Order: sequence, then C-alpha cells, then structure tokens
Amino acid sequence: MADVLQSVDVVTIGVGLTGTMAALELGKLGLKIVGIESGAPRETVPDFQSPAIHDELRFSIRKAMMQDNVKQTVTFRNSSDQTALPIRRWQSFLPGTGLGGSFVHWNGQTYRYQVADFIYKTHLAERYGANFVEQCGPELIVQDWGVTYDELEPHYDRFEYLLGTSGQAGNINGQIVPGGNPFEAPRTRGYPTPPMKEPYFGAIFRKGADSLGYHPYPQPSSNLSQPYTNPEGLELGQCVFCGFCERYACEHFAKASPQTTMLPVLLKMPNYELRTNCQVLKINLDSTGTQATGVTYADATGHEYEQPANLVLVTAFPLNNVRMLLVSGIGKPYNPTTGEGVVGRSYSYQTTGGATVFLDESININPYMASGANGTVIDDFGGDNFDHAQLGFIGGQYVGAIMTSGRPIENHPTPSGTPAWGLEWKQAVARHYNHTILVGQYGTSTSSRLNYLDLDPTYKDAWGMPLLRMTFDFPENDIRMSQYIADKVVQIGQAMGGTSIIRGGTTRPYTTTVYQTTHNAGGAIMGADPNTSVVNRYLQSWDVHNVFSLGGSAIPQNAAYNLTDTVGALTYWALDAIQNQYLKSPGPLVPK
Amino acid sequence: MTLGRLPSVALAAILVAAPGLIYAAMAQTQSDTPAPDRGRGAIIAAQGTASGAPACALCHAFDGASDGSGAFPRIAGQPASYLATQLGYFASGVRNSAIMSPIGKALSAEDVAAVTAYFAELDVPFLPLAQPDETLVKAGQELAKVGNAARGIQACDNCHGPEGAGEPPVIPYLAGQYASYIAFELQMWQSGYRTSSPEEMAPLAAKLTAEDVAAVAAYYQQVRGSDAIVAPQ
Amino acid sequence: MVKVSRRTVLKGVGALGASVLPIAAASGAAEAQQAPTPEAQPAAPAPTAPPAPAPSSTAPSYTYLFFNTDEAAFIEAAVARLIPKDDQWGGALEAGVSNYIDKEMASGWGAGERLYRSGPWQAGTPSQGYQLAFTPAELFRTAMRAINAELSQTPFAKMSPADQDTYLKGLQAGGKDLGGVPSAEFFAELWEATIEGFFSDPVYGGNQDMLSWRMLGFPGAYASYYDLVDQHGIKFDRAPTSLAENIHGHITLDPGIPARSP
Repeated sequence: MADVLQSVDVVTIGVGLTGTMAALELGKLGLKIVGIESGAPRETVPDFQSPAIHDELRFSIRKAMMQDNVKQTVTFRNSSDQTALPIRRWQSFLPGTGLGGSFVHWNGQTYRYQVADFIYKTHLAERYGANFVEQCGPELIVQDWGVTYDELEPHYDRFEYLLGTSGQAGNINGQIVPGGNPFEAPRTRGYPTPPMKEPYFGAIFRKGADSLGYHPYPQPSSNLSQPYTNPEGLELGQCVFCGFCERYACEHFAKASPQTTMLPVLLKMPNYELRTNCQVLKINLDSTGTQATGVTYADATGHEYEQPANLVLVTAFPLNNVRMLLVSGIGKPYNPTTGEGVVGRSYSYQTTGGATVFLDESININPYMASGANGTVIDDFGGDNFDHAQLGFIGGQYVGAIMTSGRPIENHPTPSGTPAWGLEWKQAVARHYNHTILVGQYGTSTSSRLNYLDLDPTYKDAWGMPLLRMTFDFPENDIRMSQYIADKVVQIGQAMGGTSIIRGGTTRPYTTTVYQTTHNAGGAIMGADPNTSVVNRYLQSWDVHNVFSLGGSAIPQNAAYNLTDTVGALTYWALDAIQNQYLKSPGPLVPK
Repeated sequence: MTLGRLPSVALAAILVAAPGLIYAAMAQTQSDTPAPDRGRGAIIAAQGTASGAPACALCHAFDGASDGSGAFPRIAGQPASYLATQLGYFASGVRNSAIMSPIGKALSAEDVAAVTAYFAELDVPFLPLAQPDETLVKAGQELAKVGNAARGIQACDNCHGPEGAGEPPVIPYLAGQYASYIAFELQMWQSGYRTSSPEEMAPLAAKLTAEDVAAVAAYYQQVRGSDAIVAPQ
Repeated sequence: MVKVSRRTVLKGVGALGASVLPIAAASGAAEAQQAPTPEAQPAAPAPTAPPAPAPSSTAPSYTYLFFNTDEAAFIEAAVARLIPKDDQWGGALEAGVSNYIDKEMASGWGAGERLYRSGPWQAGTPSQGYQLAFTPAELFRTAMRAINAELSQTPFAKMSPADQDTYLKGLQAGGKDLGGVPSAEFFAELWEATIEGFFSDPVYGGNQDMLSWRMLGFPGAYASYYDLVDQHGIKFDRAPTSLAENIHGHITLDPGIPARSP
C-alpha cells in the first residue's frame, strides 16, 4: 500500500517553531533529517511582501494563514455530558499552517515563566498549605513540571538570542534592574536588543499604573527594536510599527519566525529534506509497541508513504501533537471517569479579558502605529506575585496596554449603551476609534479533571482520521481570579483618564465563537511521574523512547504568560538531552 | 499635485524646523504654532536669505524639479516634514554636503518651515527622460516591488509606498526622483557617509550590489505620478 | 481592469474646492476643509473627523453576480439602515457594501470555503458556534427568499426607515424561522458581512473611496510608522492608501468584479 522510503535518522512531524529548531540543531550533527509539513512552503520574499500582506479581510477575517477547517478541525463541548460538535470555522484560537507554522503569524510577545511556575504544586503547598488548591477547586490539577527554572535558564537565554528579543531586563542574577519587571525570574544577562519604542497607549497606561504604585515595564517583543544578527548569522530588520503582526507575516524581516531566524540556514543543509503539503497520518510502532519505526504520511495527491526513522519528533501545533499520539496509540489515553491515563489530560488554555478605556477626543492614540508585541504591562497580578491566602483562588494575569493594531474590521470599539448598529453606532465608532485604549488581562489557565482532549467518535478529517475532541470550560477558580483582576484593571483605566470604561474579565462558559488566544497548552504534559504525565522531563515519551513530543502540549498548566518563549526553552532543553544523552545511548532517559 | 500622497496641509503646516522638536511641537502645540508662510518660502527659494543661504532655485529650480542633471534631487511635492528633517540633518552633521550643510545652518526655524511648506505644495511636471534601459528598469522593478529572497532584501515599496509614492510625512517619494541622486544616496549609505535612518536604510543599502543600486534608481526615475503619463497595462 | 481615479470620484460628487486643491487632497476632501492656502490657520486639531465627499444622492449601481433583483433591493435597503449615511459621511450603501456582499456570496466564500462542512449536523450550544448545513450563499438566499415572501405586500425596500429598523430588530431578536435559517443567525451573518464590506480594503468591492477609513482616520494598507510611533498624540491625517493603489492615485480595480478572498 504505502511506498516504503529509505530510512533516515530523524523525522519531524510539522515544520514550525519546534520542528525547525530540532532539525537545525540535530542537522548540525550531520544527521539525516526529513521535515514533513502539512502546509505549503513560503518565504519572506516574495510571499510576505506589500501590499498584499496588509490585507485585513484576507488574513485577519478569512484567516488565510490558518489550518483549513475543511480539511481538519477540532470538535468541542463545554462538558462531557454534551455532544461535541465541529468548530466549523476557527474563532477562539487559530492554529497556523504552512512552513513555519503558527510561529509565522504570532505577535512576538516573549515572556519567561517564573521560578514558582515550574514547581507550582510544591510552591503553592509551601506558601498556602497542602489543602489550598483543593479548597480553590476540587477539580483542579496542579503539577510540578519535572524541570526547574534554573535548568531552563540557559535555554531561555539561547532562544531569546536566536530571536533577538527586544526588552528591558528586570532581574539580572538576582539584582533588580530599574525599568524592567521586578517580578521576573533572574536572568543571566539582558535581552539581546533594547525595548521597543513605547507607543502612546503604552505611555498612558504606564502613567496610570505608576500612579497606583504598580510596576510597568515594556513588553518583551520579538519584533525587533533594531537590526540584529542572530547566532545563525541571519540578519533581522527593525520593526516599523505597521500594525500588521498577529495573523500576518512580516515583510520587513523584523519579526522572529522560522523564516527570519533559522530556515535560510536549515534549508541549505544537504542532510535536511523538507516535504511540504504532506499530512502525517500516524507514527508507526514495532510489534512490541515500545519503539517507533517511523511515520506514514500522504502527499498532496493522496499517495501514502512510509518514512522509516530512528527518531520521531512530534513537532506540530499542541492540539495536533496530542492527536498524533492518540491516533498512534502512544501512551494511555486519559479517562475522565476514572482519572486514569495521561494522553489528553491536563489540557489548559489561557484566561483573557480586559477593559476598554474610552478617552477624551483630544487624545489621539493612533492605534494603527503598533506592533504585535509593543506596549507596556505590569506583572503585579501575574502568577503568584500577590498573596492569594485570603482570595480563594490560585493564579493570576499580567495586565497591559498592548494594542497590536488599529485594523478597523477588528477594532471599532463603542462605549456601553451604544446601539449595536445604525446611525448612533456609526457615529460612536467614528468618535471613539482614535481615542480608545484596550487594557488586556492574560493569565493562568488551571488544568482540571473535567477538561481533556480525546478522539472524536463521530467526526473525521479529510484523510478519514478522527478529529480531536476538546472538552473544556474555565474552572470557577479561574473566573474568580480573572474577575478579581478585572476590578484592578478598571481602577487603572480610571487612572488613565478613562471617561467611560467597559469592564472585562473571563466568564463562563468558554466559547469558541470569540477570539481569545492561541495558547492552547497541555494534553501531552511533561512530568516526573509516568502516571501523571505523557513525556518525561526531557519531553521523551514514557512509553516509546524514540518519540519526543515538543511544544506547548508539554506544559502541565498555563502559568499566565504567552508560552512561545517557554516552548523555545523547553525545546532547546530537550534537544540538548537528545544530543548529549539519547544519541549516545538510545533508550529511556528517565527510568519509568 | 499628482503624487497623491502628501500630508494634509494641517500636518505640513505645523512643522517647525528643529529636527527632534518637530513632533514634540506637533504633539503639544499644534493649535498654537502659526502656519508657515509659504509666500516667504517662495522668496527664500528664489532669493535666499540675508543669513547667507543662497537661493534654493539655483540648484533645485524655483519649482523644485531641479535641473535634470540628477546631481540635485527633485524636491517638489516632497513632504514638508521630510524636507525639514533633512535640512536639520544637514545643519547637525547627520548628513554632510559641502553645499547643503551651510544652508542648513543658515536657515532659521521659521525659514525652514516656510521653505519646506512652499516646496511641499508644488505640483510640477517631470522633465523629459532619455529612453530608459528596459533591462535595468525591469531588474529595479523586481527589487522595488518584490525584493530578493536569497539576499534577504525586502521590497522598497513596503515603506516607500505604492510604486515609490512615499508615505508622508516621514518617508519620501522615490517615484520620478533622479536616478543619479537615488544611486548616489544609496552609495552614501553603503559607505557610511549618510547616517540618517541608520537602522532602516543602512542595513538595506549594505545588501545591494552596484547593479542593484543602478537598477532600482533607474526604475524609480521613470515611475511618474502624472496622469498625463499612464504606464501601459 | 478599470482604473477608478480618485480624482474622478471626487469630481463625480462635486466635492468642494477640487479645482484649487492639490490632487493629493482628492483622496480625502479632508484637506479641502483645512486650508489650501498659506494664510489659513490649519493647525488646530480637528474636533471632528474630516468630511467625506458628500453622500451620493443616488444609489450607486452595481453589476450583481449573485443577488437577484429582489434580493439586491433587500440588501441595499438593509445595509443602508445598518450603517446609514449622515450629513458628514456616507453609509454602507454609499460605500458599496451591497456590492461587497454580492461578490463574496458569488465566490468561494459563499460556497463555504474554509468551512468544515461534514455532518452529522445538529443544533449546538451557543459556545459551539455555527452548526447549520447552509453555506453562506445558501443561508443568504434561503433567508432572503423567506423575507421577500413574507413582505410581498410591502417589500422591505419600500418600508419607511423606522419600519425597516423595526423589522431588522425583529430579525436580530430571533425566534423567527426564515426557511430553516434562524433569523438571528441571518442577522448576525448580515451584520458581519456589512462590517467587513464597510471596513475592508476597497479591492473587495466595498469601502469605496476608502470612505470608512477616512471617517476613522485609518491610513490603510501602506504603513510604516517607526519615526512617528513615539510622537505621542500627533494628529495624523495622511490620506489612506489602498492595497491596489498606484502612483497616480488610482485604485486599480473593477468596481463590479473586484478581487476576492482569500
């Protein structure tokens, strides 16, 4: 049936952020690597150039860079007593497709997690007592990662220097640095490039936050503040604040992406082969089920191939990583009734919200002068940066004015009480467009026994494979957390001079019909215990030692921040283990 | 004005000369700053100033189209903000020119506001061109509109607007600019003599070969924003 | 391709002062208000947005590829109420939103591109999103057929504006079945399409003459603000630039059959 191809050392399922990093790192060792990408090839020149790249309808609304729902989607329900139905169009989150994956259309917001986030269970028990999490919600699952911040720090550093991230350090080797985030985990050195210019909305937020005693700092950005040559020898440009980042690709070489930071080097390697428009159908296992023999994929004509490989790296979008493990029978699927099994367990998301702050007409925000990762934020309510003892919830959110654009189909705010359409609506849109600031809240999504991923029993993708089924709602804990912070955000909005403020904050039920975030996390989480994790601390499958599952799917619970920086650090951490341990002696890196 | 990309008079009018102060002034005092005196600007263009600046018209022509030699740029219709910024750069030494540097120093803030407002509002015909080298123009067009993948060069139009029409108030038009001026300035960036826009233009210029420079200059020179000259479909 | 000159558009609506204005101003009669002469005092921040070319008194005429005559009459009348014109700015009808929706419905979008279309279909919860078997084109056609049948005595387009608003609010409130399409779903899709057509690039057949962009002060597709982003609070009123614009200030598109997405 399937044509059997010549065996290679490594195959990556997906060529986005983690697939590119892995191939580049292992390719330098001379290994023969095949990258299989379901989408099309694309390059900064000519594919991302003006004027076509600045088309809001095509990219933001029609979502031209995202996976085609016709071919593949996810089914969804809020709770397991409902029937999951297909997400027929992406709205809430936007998995990308094409060479470079979602790392092309991201905004560039580049946060490290904090020390406590990696030892979350231990930390919360030490600070608040062993029963605190249970009191916040009996359904909550909180786990340590099996890796510590100190172990990851060199990999965070390396990843940020790959990207050229622009930011202001707040803590270098324990010394608090003015102007940065005083809550940040200690870094060994500053960012590779200085922070971006502060737009007006950021400056107004800074003033408001300052007046309330908070600690504003420039959002770390991988849209660069100045030209930068990364360690791969690739030159990145300077961001011009065009306001077309998120859901777009950058024409200026100014946003870190596989195209700007790695691919030109990788694609020149004779031992690397890229196969685009090819859909991996499953990972093949040997008769014992403990070792992968390679993958089976279909090319664009539907012809199937078997690609044998010594090492299989699952490097797709987090949701697709989980599905690949499930359809391949790697790891025991999670059973929400018994609580047993691991694959699909601990799926988490990110809580979002925020206030819309309407200002006087004399204040011209010019929101279209923006970058995907510019702006000013505070971390005073992030993670466990504030005392939760009397609050009855765990978790937190960072808060900031980080408007990414003024693109008008998406951005035309009107104050409360404005009719939904008609003349009054139109005049309110014209009145407020240039005089409104969105202050966002982005934060923790706590894993729950009730939230999980499995294979849908009914709906299939274009290749006849079952779709992934998502069962998810925000735990009440997360709602309490977000609503608590929403009050603080309203106070900031008032301090910013808001003449009218729409309060935000996460609410239940979670809905797939409104964009929130593409930080889907977990489902194939890492950990120290094979009974509660899919991969070990090196992101290696507990069950099939030559399969590593890289990416956001490994994150046990989303600890507030946008996860790209952490995904990059985890990937370098895992690749280091592959290079220095696994390749020398293939087998489980941690005894089961 | 056929370039169609000029800033509104409101924006042009509030510019003052000192670079760096320009936008602060825009932000804080836009309702207080008097409009520049274009009539006075015309006089400066024609006669120079008592402070020692010679008449602009000597090189740029009274209508800002310059003499066609290509030694001097066309400045008619260029955004006032851009022109004022460049005059400031000549005065401060960011740009160096034996001719322009003393002029930049001699002009007062009011002079700069007046004369840049004067030239910004001019809509003048383009001087006739010699038959362009089609191969060169084609190569230049490719760079200008698409860029070069292998060398990581983005399209010039990304910032300079559709067909080099400019993005006022900051980014100048290239369409119809003299090829020898465009080429000369790119060479100044390449050699490090021109230090304005160090993080935008210098890295880009460094990636261009001599052939690229000639091509892109040749291309933009023959793009002309007059309705009288409509490019064939 | 037809070249639509902004100058032509401007003349066509008899905008003020065109003869004394630089053509730059044609892209936004903005400048017409703001002192083409050096003597004027243009620097005051405009308390209100600069005006559009006066709203056209006659409805524009489009070559509809999808809508039949009755459907076109409904859509034109409906979008004119959803985003009405006023004495300063044209509304959705003047911006060509009916033309935009027509072209989208006639295109792959109308046919359901990027829409997971496999069954089984069943009603879901609000948080599960769209779960109807209709493509957008089928949904619009089915709903409009039902509306036009219901209103056969007095078609929507012939109602008074007040009655039109009441009828639209009835659709929005839901509870009415339009041949299998819940009226609230149809209203939501119609409103979404109206927003898209009003604010998207003119290459798609709506937002003609960049009407909405000039209303907002959104500068459009060509965008490079490194030197301006930290100049806080500046009044930035550069004329907007469309994707399809060229050096001549023309927007190169066929007003009847524009580009399509994606």
